[in-house]
Amino acid sequence: METVYRFPPEKRMAEVHIIGQIVGASGFPQNSLFCKWGLQAGCAWKLLSGLKDGQTQVDNPVIKDMAYWSHPIDIHYATKGLQGWPKLYIQVWHQDSFGRNELYGYGFCHIPSSPGTHEIQCVTWRPLGTWQEQLSQMFVGGGPQLKHSDLIYTGADRYRLQTVAMGKVHLQLSIILRNFDQYGVEY
Amino acid sequence: MASMDNLREKIKSKRKALQASLAVSSEVTDTRGLVVEEIENGTRLENATIVEEIQNEDEQVENLKRTMKAQRQRRKKMLIDDVGLHPEGSIQEMNVITHRQRTLPSLPETTPRTSFAEYSMREKMREKLKAARSKAQSAIRQEEASAPARRLTRFKDQESVTRFDTEVDDDEMRRPRGDESPFPSSRVRFREIANKAKREAQDELPSAETTYNFFTFNFDPEPEETEAETIKEKQPETLPKIDQEEEEEEEHDEDGEESAVTKEVEEEEEEEDRPLVKDNGEDEDDYLFIIGQTARDFLVVKAPDYESYHSQRQKDRKFLFTPSILTVSTSEKVPENMQPRFLEDEGIYVGERPKVSKSNQNILENRLLKNEEGKKWFGSDGRIIALANPIKRTQTRPSMFSLHEKVDPAIETLYKKAEKSMYDNRYIAGSAELQGHFQLDIDVAGIAFTHHPMFSREHVLASKLSQLYDQYLFRQQKNLANLYSDKLCALRNAVKNITDDRHVKSSVAQRRLMEYKSEIRTIRRMCHMEQEKDWTLLKSLAKVWKDIKSLREFQKFTNTPIKLHLRRQEINRKADEISYECEIQTEVAELLEDYQEEYKNKMEEYKIKYEEWKAWRKAKKAKKKKNKSADEQQVDDAEESSIVEEFPKPDPPEQVDVLLIEQQVRATAARIRRKPGEPVLAPELSMTATVTPTSQCPRGEQLRRQDVQRSTLHTKVIFNNKEVSRTSSRTLASDFKVHFGQIFNVQIVNWPESIKIQIFETVGISTTKVEVFVPIPETSVLTGSVPIEEIEFSSDHRVMFDHEGVGSGVPFSFEADGSNKLTLLTSGKLACCVSWAVSEDGVPLVPPIFEQNIGIQSALKHMDAILSIGASGLTDTKKLAKWAAESRLDPNDPSNTALMQLIMSTTGEAQEKDFFRLEQLQEEFNFVSEDDFNKSKRFRLLQLRNEEVAEFHNYKQVPILDREISEKIFQEYEKKHREKDVVDMTSHLDPHRALVARFLQKVRDSVVSRFLLAKHHHVLSDMVVEEAVPSISMLGISLFKLTEPRRPLRPQRKERKKVTAQNLSDGDINLLVNIIRAYDIPIRKPIGSKLPLTSRSARSINETFSTSQMPQSPTQSHEWFTNQTSVRPFVEVSFQRTIRQTATAEGPNPNWNEELELPFRAPNGNYSTANLQSVTDEVFINVFDEVIYDVLEDDRERGSGVHTRIERHWLGAVQIPFSTIYSQSRLDGTFRINTPPVLLGYSKERNLSSERGWEAVRSLSEGSYLSLFITIEPHLVPGESANEKFETQEDEKLLQRAEKFQKEVKQKFPNRRCVTLATDLTGKLVFVTRFINPLFPPQELLDAFPNDLEATTELVARYVSLMPFLPDSISFAGICDLWCTSDQFLNLLAGDEEEHAVLLCNYFLAMGKKAWLMIGTAIPEGPTAYVLTYEQKQYVIWNSTTGQYYGQFDAFCPLQSVSCLVSADNVWFNMQKYDTVTRIHFDTSKSNFWKPFFSRSFPFPGLSSVQPEELVYRRTDKAAAVELQDKIEKILKEKIMEWRPRHPTRWNRYCTSTLRQFLPKLELSNGAEVGIDHCAELQSLLGDYRISGFPINLSFSELRPIVEAVHSTGVHNTVIPHVEFALAVYVHPYPNNVLSVWIYVASLVRNR
Repeated sequence: METVYRFPPEKRMAEVHIIGQIVGASGFPQNSLFCKWGLQAGCAWKLLSGLKDGQTQVDNPVIKDMAYWSHPIDIHYATKGLQGWPKLYIQVWHQDSFGRNELYGYGFCHIPSSPGTHEIQCVTWRPLGTWQEQLSQMFVGGGPQLKHSDLIYTGADRYRLQTVAMGKVHLQLSIILRNFDQYGVEY
Repeated sequence: MASMDNLREKIKSKRKALQASLAVSSEVTDTRGLVVEEIENGTRLENATIVEEIQNEDEQVENLKRTMKAQRQRRKKMLIDDVGLHPEGSIQEMNVITHRQRTLPSLPETTPRTSFAEYSMREKMREKLKAARSKAQSAIRQEEASAPARRLTRFKDQESVTRFDTEVDDDEMRRPRGDESPFPSSRVRFREIANKAKREAQDELPSAETTYNFFTFNFDPEPEETEAETIKEKQPETLPKIDQEEEEEEEHDEDGEESAVTKEVEEEEEEEDRPLVKDNGEDEDDYLFIIGQTARDFLVVKAPDYESYHSQRQKDRKFLFTPSILTVSTSEKVPENMQPRFLEDEGIYVGERPKVSKSNQNILENRLLKNEEGKKWFGSDGRIIALANPIKRTQTRPSMFSLHEKVDPAIETLYKKAEKSMYDNRYIAGSAELQGHFQLDIDVAGIAFTHHPMFSREHVLASKLSQLYDQYLFRQQKNLANLYSDKLCALRNAVKNITDDRHVKSSVAQRRLMEYKSEIRTIRRMCHMEQEKDWTLLKSLAKVWKDIKSLREFQKFTNTPIKLHLRRQEINRKADEISYECEIQTEVAELLEDYQEEYKNKMEEYKIKYEEWKAWRKAKKAKKKKNKSADEQQVDDAEESSIVEEFPKPDPPEQVDVLLIEQQVRATAARIRRKPGEPVLAPELSMTATVTPTSQCPRGEQLRRQDVQRSTLHTKVIFNNKEVSRTSSRTLASDFKVHFGQIFNVQIVNWPESIKIQIFETVGISTTKVEVFVPIPETSVLTGSVPIEEIEFSSDHRVMFDHEGVGSGVPFSFEADGSNKLTLLTSGKLACCVSWAVSEDGVPLVPPIFEQNIGIQSALKHMDAILSIGASGLTDTKKLAKWAAESRLDPNDPSNTALMQLIMSTTGEAQEKDFFRLEQLQEEFNFVSEDDFNKSKRFRLLQLRNEEVAEFHNYKQVPILDREISEKIFQEYEKKHREKDVVDMTSHLDPHRALVARFLQKVRDSVVSRFLLAKHHHVLSDMVVEEAVPSISMLGISLFKLTEPRRPLRPQRKERKKVTAQNLSDGDINLLVNIIRAYDIPIRKPIGSKLPLTSRSARSINETFSTSQMPQSPTQSHEWFTNQTSVRPFVEVSFQRTIRQTATAEGPNPNWNEELELPFRAPNGNYSTANLQSVTDEVFINVFDEVIYDVLEDDRERGSGVHTRIERHWLGAVQIPFSTIYSQSRLDGTFRINTPPVLLGYSKERNLSSERGWEAVRSLSEGSYLSLFITIEPHLVPGESANEKFETQEDEKLLQRAEKFQKEVKQKFPNRRCVTLATDLTGKLVFVTRFINPLFPPQELLDAFPNDLEATTELVARYVSLMPFLPDSISFAGICDLWCTSDQFLNLLAGDEEEHAVLLCNYFLAMGKKAWLMIGTAIPEGPTAYVLTYEQKQYVIWNSTTGQYYGQFDAFCPLQSVSCLVSADNVWFNMQKYDTVTRIHFDTSKSNFWKPFFSRSFPFPGLSSVQPEELVYRRTDKAAAVELQDKIEKILKEKIMEWRPRHPTRWNRYCTSTLRQFLPKLELSNGAEVGIDHCAELQSLLGDYRISGFPINLSFSELRPIVEAVHSTGVHNTVIPHVEFALAVYVHPYPNNVLSVWIYVASLVRNR
């Protein structure tokens, strides 16, 4: 009798590569900006390699008003579920002529869920604060900041916050998905 | 009215249809009904589509089906009622009326205005009805009487529906029908209920009871009164009521449709009983209908229904049960015939119950008791079973503080000033983001000394007494003895309960009984122990007090106000005696029981054995009989019987003696307890004794008191090794307590690393210092909520006084004769507390995340639950759990909760539901399970690579599929993890060394991980390479250069371009070894020639360094040279198993000048700086002699062919670690070749005829030398040592001075290394002079040559050199030099130059020599440390790692430059122009030559040494050495055979034994050349053999280097046929497990 040995079908896990860069920022009232960024993913997501947060250099463009950082992002995630698809959150900071840093904007965007290269513009906002705060901000800099920065992406009660729109952060992200078809995820 | 008519007609038609169906059969079954309805539905469906425009037909059908079902049921009823109510029509009609109602809601009787749609519908209906009417006109006539009744009901119905839908317009009416299917059916049902209600309304007013019935559907068949008139009048009033009911009913229905359906069935049955009544009603209806169709006809005005409260109560009482609020007696609550049992009294912990008001509790109890199984709600104590109060006393969730009151804390913003981020990562990250600065409050309350040097004897006793009393109070408070005895009682009761409970004889009870008994035993033991402790404490209290009293009497004055009263508490003697006796009796009984049980067990055992024995004897007897009959089997039987013969006759166990037990019990009781009837003693300490005034004291005491008054104390608060504040000085009180009561608010920006409080005591001018480390508080420790803690401290400072003070660290005695000496050290308690401050608005000033790992901080700090909670805990929880299980912790006790929870969470017992899931549906939507996910090898590999785990760091490509990754990859990693603590004995042969290796590995790991973290900090220059913009001056110079004349014969040295390591790959790096020349290679010895024997063993240092050398006879040498084949040396360089060799040169001073290129491969292909630094490979440079033998067998062929065999004989080797080459980037110089002391067949005669010029310089250095130049191509940038600021305990002033000193000298001589501070093994900076301290070498070394100081010196140097060498650069790649103290070094038995040099220097100092530690550079080590001694007007330089010594003017001294000298009390820096050894003046007193660190301006502060006072040497086990020797020999022999796989390896035993005898002699002569004698000896012994071989001497660290050394000599490479080998190993043990290993390898070829 013939026996057929068969390997058990291998469990292939879904993986996501996020490769790209934070190109820069435009539309902010001042240049000389830098950016702190981070990725937030659900608990089903496992970071395999790469740094999931970081900070760019300060770019002080002399011509044109777009600040270029070209900050690389290269992250490899494995996931066991779709929930908590990663989000990129951003804080744009401004460094003034005295070398002081002040917050210019918060923003977040979802990592695209379809493979390929994506140009993303992440709009940012900034808490407005009371009129006293606005006044002092005008003259001495600084400004209101979130006490809990996870509010950037959780957005539980954000609508109650008085904010001002700030500029955009330009992102270029390439997404490589792997083995998602094994679990019936189409894209 | 037209519509009315229509309706009437319609109804009639329907009724007709029904009648028709009735005609078919009076007993209508469901199916039939269905058929009938099918017909009717035809019409209805049409109507429905028109009026209601139901969009979804399917749903419609469904709806219809439901309505049909309801109708069917209703129809049954109706048929029985003989009413013939036709519901179908009603739906439509109702809708019609709805519309009407909407326009005119209040008046149902007004003429309805019909819409067009309705109108058309009506038209259609009318047509249909006409048709129907023509069909069965007669039937309608008959039934016409009932029709008006229908009419009436319809109207009511309409009313209700209208009411219900008042607000709803047309569309909304429709939508529910379309959207939710259950609605129509419910509506139908509701209508039907309405009908019913209406019917009742006709009959009578709905009372409360009927309403109740209405809801509960318990319709009692009631006779209906029919009064048409009343109905007419009452109707209007009834309607709202009905509506209300309907509305409620509607809700009801929607909730539970199904129940309604079932109830309907019930209704049917009920209504079957009332056809008669109905008939009457029908008539009435009929009548009504005919008479009037105005609204008044249908409405009835009724008074609001009221029922008196009393009657209501009466009714309620029937149905409701009101539990009383009276207390229930306990007997009702516990099972019958049971006494309530109070667990609390039995010593079992019962949690605090939650607070419930008494009346509520009573109500609940009363209610529960009414239930059938009510009693199960009550515990054995007769109270309701309740969990412990869940409310925690302390807040566990961090409170959120909001600055603004209204704003939700989650979205709160905070105004931040624009600030420069000046803090680097060592500071608290995000300190600028949050509240800014953080504050620690350090409260220094005071100091209380438990021993102080100025204590008088009485003070000592008093402090002892007060300590004992404290202990007594503490014990009293805990009252363990009582606790245990109570528990014992409880357990005894429990046992009694179980035993009393006859009928419960289950195994569970049995087991519990056993458990209880064993517990009783342990508790009893503990109880005894505690009692004994209490008793002894009491006794010692009394004793100390007695001592104090006698002392006071003796010295005739009182120093302390302490006083002890022993309060007697008389007790009832009789009762006490009885209880005592009782106790003893129970104990005896228990013990007896235990013994008896044991006896029983033994007895059983004995019985079994006895039976066995009996059986055996019987068998034996039988066998004997058999034996007689059958002799042939004798042999077998004999054997068998011999086996069984040994079966002994078992002895019966002994019975226990009751009296004996009782005696024992009484004895212990007498020992540990108060005798019965004796009064209870309660000590009481008071401070009421009067202290004798100073004037009345003797002189000594007066002096002491004065001293005490003179001494002042102050403390300094040191935060992160920086003094932040200090308290004011306070004088010491006579009770040796100081109160400061000062609180320091320390605002911090750095992470708190250490908080230290230094206590300074100043008496006159002398100051003593004691340091107390205070733990850094947890983040939850806030000011105001922390009690002051007492931290104990002590100091080993020796203090002696000439007055009454007993001193510290000095033995003293209380006895007059000075016996019973006591040595007490200064000690005390510092009362202080450290906590995080709270700002004015209540915000704690705590750093956001207090984590130890300050390496990589994420740039965005957000709230991380795990980090903020922090995972601190005991590490080995399994053990803990085991212990907890064994020790039977009471899991309910709150003091154990933390522990239990920990255990639970780890053992996973109650883990299942104990957490709250944030993402609820996560599990359900997961692709794969957690397990699978974690099992993935690929992911693991990727993660490990990302974490830079050494094994996987440079794993370039990770396979894409799991199955392509073999399990083996992780095996080693896991093994390493697992076996971290398992000592690998096999590879070390020596347990001590294995332990050391493990320890070293641990240190290395931690250092490396620290370094890895530090590596992630980049500075600008790491990232940005900016070429300097050429300035004008540079341009000018380069222009000037153009005009320079070209000088091709004088090439300029060009700097090689440096390459950063990370871009390199395999094959890019080469090691260039330039072999230039060698000096004094040993030359071959002509076989059989006699050599002049010049004894060298008896040299003295004096002789050696005298410039006048011993003249050697040139004639002899010359003659010898001429007939000598000399030597043909070549050099072989092997590195990473690549071998390159030079051409063969001639003569003992060959000149090769060849460049060898060896490829370099970094391990794992990782070319990062850190990895290159940790490369442990060595470059072996071996010098061989090429010997050519003529192997031509036949002389005749000599003319035509050359047959020779080339043999290579090892002459010596130079080993250079790669790390040295890497760190120095090039090595250039002349190196001493390590030649074996004896080279068989070679002699080290000097060739005097050649190179006469060098002779004078070299003559004294015996040994061969090799000139080399080694470098790496391309030029690698050596790694810079991480400039981490290590913490230190040195004085701030000293540190500053050191910094200044180093800066100064660095400016002048940038190349000279200045060492002032060294890092010790714990990573602290220590001033170097602290390492120098005279230490005695092992006594047996000193005893070896009692009269010969030089020999002893050499022996000591040799001993030091035998310590295994381990460079720091390998173990602590790129970190820094770590200096061990000498005892650590001796323990580790591994260290580099510094440790060796320090140890040697310390030995020399102890031996009375003038010695210094010399910092400089040498080849091949690079920066190193040597030892300089001054003997007999000469400076001698000692290489501590080899044990060699050199004169100052020795040209071959490997020390190249000297930069620093270190002694025990100063450091001198070389300020002379030259730093080569020969040109230096060593007189340190001249400050223009040597710049001293401590000078007059900054005197030596008297730094104490970090070295121990003396070294303790372990004697080395001789037997172990012999064992090791055998092991090594065996392994080496195996290895040699392994290396010669194609040739047989024969061992010459005779030679081996000869060599073995010779090795100890070599060791004794310190490896000096006794070889010549030995050669002669060997030669004579083995005359007919040609021997080539040599002994190798190594210090023993592990086996691998030994094997490597033997392999590198290449002795095994001989391929001469019939070659024989000899190998002897000798291990010479030195004290402290230092082992000198001698290996003698030789190959023998028999001379033909």
